[in-house]
Amino acid sequence: MSGPAPMPASPPGDSPGASAQPALSVRNLSTVFESPGRTVHAVRDVSFDMRPTERLGVVGESGSGKSALALSILGLIEPPGRVVGGEIRLGGRDISKLSDRALGAVRGNDIALVLQDPMSALDPVRTIGRQVVDAIAVHEPELRRAAARKRAAELLREVDIPQAERRLDDYPHQYSGGMRQRVAIAMAIAHNPSVLIADEPTTALDVTTQSQVLALLDRLVEQHRTAVILITHNLGIVSDFCDSVAVMYAGRFVETSGVDHIFLSPTHPYSEALLKCVPNPERLAEGPLPAITGFPPDLSQLPHGCSFQPRCPVGKDIPECRGQTPQPHTVEGPSGAAIVECHFAEQRIGEVKV
Amino acid sequence: MGLVILKRVIGSIGAIIGATILAFIIMRALPGNPARLIVGPLATPQAVASVSHQIGLDKPIFTQYWLFISHFFEGNWGYSYADGKSVSSLIGERLGATIELALFSFVITMFFAVVLALLVTYRRRPIADRILRGVAYLGFGTPPFFVALILLIVFFKSLHVLPGPEGRLGLQANPPPTVTHLYTVDALIAGQFGTFWASVEHLILPGIALGLSSFSFIVRLLRANLLEISREPFLTVARGKGLRRWTAFRRHALPNAFLPTLTVGGLVLGEFLAGSVLIERVFNWPGVGSLVFDAIVKQDYAVVQTFILLAAVMFVLVNLIVDLLYAVIDPRVRIPVVATA
Repeated sequence: MSGPAPMPASPPGDSPGASAQPALSVRNLSTVFESPGRTVHAVRDVSFDMRPTERLGVVGESGSGKSALALSILGLIEPPGRVVGGEIRLGGRDISKLSDRALGAVRGNDIALVLQDPMSALDPVRTIGRQVVDAIAVHEPELRRAAARKRAAELLREVDIPQAERRLDDYPHQYSGGMRQRVAIAMAIAHNPSVLIADEPTTALDVTTQSQVLALLDRLVEQHRTAVILITHNLGIVSDFCDSVAVMYAGRFVETSGVDHIFLSPTHPYSEALLKCVPNPERLAEGPLPAITGFPPDLSQLPHGCSFQPRCPVGKDIPECRGQTPQPHTVEGPSGAAIVECHFAEQRIGEVKV
Repeated sequence: MGLVILKRVIGSIGAIIGATILAFIIMRALPGNPARLIVGPLATPQAVASVSHQIGLDKPIFTQYWLFISHFFEGNWGYSYADGKSVSSLIGERLGATIELALFSFVITMFFAVVLALLVTYRRRPIADRILRGVAYLGFGTPPFFVALILLIVFFKSLHVLPGPEGRLGLQANPPPTVTHLYTVDALIAGQFGTFWASVEHLILPGIALGLSSFSFIVRLLRANLLEISREPFLTVARGKGLRRWTAFRRHALPNAFLPTLTVGGLVLGEFLAGSVLIERVFNWPGVGSLVFDAIVKQDYAVVQTFILLAAVMFVLVNLIVDLLYAVIDPRVRIPVVATA
């Protein structure tokens, strides 16, 4: 099949960077995990563009392929998984066909990664300083040890680690969770990447620390003009932090738009259902918080047609939804444009209010 | 760090004291009078009493214990009842052979365990992995003396590629001039390459027989640890920084995965040094194990008790070293968690 029309995740024209070359452009990216007699389709035909400095939130249930997407973009899918197709352009350069060695020069340099669990994102038997120095030195092998260490201390100061110089020689277990996540962020921004992929960077932190880490991330990407892919299942974080949203379901981007559109008039029935699961004090009177019925599909045995159809309040048992996989529809709603993979996209646009 | 060392040293001293008490009690709980054993079944009661007095069996039990341990730590290990030589000289002249075999076996065990574990984890060889797991299963379950016999039948009797059970050198070569008591090292020092090769050839089969079950255990442990650690997020983070796969693996997976192996390695080395009695017997290896085997048969009790204590002390010391190394490698052991904001 041919990919959906290239289109920025955000509607064009609302920002000065829109006409520039995208910071990241992904086309028809697909990733599978293979074991004997079973193929799990973790990422299916995902396409999107990101402007420089754009912040894209990727939301979806656990197991919808969000983390696999992050690792696929970085070329870090390990066997038995593999990227089976697609193109990843970073600043115009296709990095999807690069060898692992060539990708090494890109990772941590042009595109960086922050992971969910700060407790396990740092090596417990290596000092914080050495781990930060590793991140610096790998792309600047000519740098002297003392200079790299000085730079590491600067990076730690930049992420608000108190007494950075002294605490370089500490081990991860001597840092708190929030501080470890700051270190992870420091390592990620060491080389001013144009794109940062943050895979649930705050999920494992308590609420106060969460907002501190988010504020830090916000400040840094602003300063460094970094585009961010923020993977999360916290829609509150998306509305605070992101410009645009991609709703991921069963390995696909089922709805991609600016944040306003998703929060004001979600068009895909799954997006709508997801939003209705967010606690809202104004709707307390309406009774208990709704939940999406059923379970996400088994990614090795996807239903025919639309993957959401078995759980969909709109499309359940409608032959079209059961028979045909919906193609991306570009629709224009009251709060901006969106790309929606739903047979009823046009019909539903503007109809849904949350 | 200082506190950790102190704790471990005190623990080790405690373990050694425990071992001496155990050895002391066992010896006194065994049926038969040691004095009677020494003088023989036809001796007069007077002779038995005189020997009893001579070896201090008529003294209070605490005095006996004190004499027992102070003699042991002074290196005054008594005399063999069988041939009258001092136990220290008997053990001394056998120690080199045992240490050489233990070290050789330890080195090949660790080398192959590490290489093969890396092959099936880092290099991802599924077929090799299956074979390795099968071999490890068999190797762990088969008694070492039986392995020794199989090896001899295959490589000596059928294939004629390696020497049979004829000790450290066989009849063709003479021992090299003594420097370290290790024939391989001494032969190299003396420049006798023929002798060096002969001693290596003679080490191979007993080395494998002694090491196979430990190899099986270590390779499985290391494989499982490497697989587990390579799924850790910090490896993905390291790769995300731009480190090459091997660099990330070497820097992060290996040190973490080796920690449990270090502990087991210490136990294994202690076991090799102390517990090769049957293997030495099968290969006619002139080590401490053979000495002890003969001593047990002859009820040569001074030799056996010294061996038990020496083995215990050595075991404790090896493990003390391992614990200290562990503290050096793993900061979580040596630096307590300080509450941080």
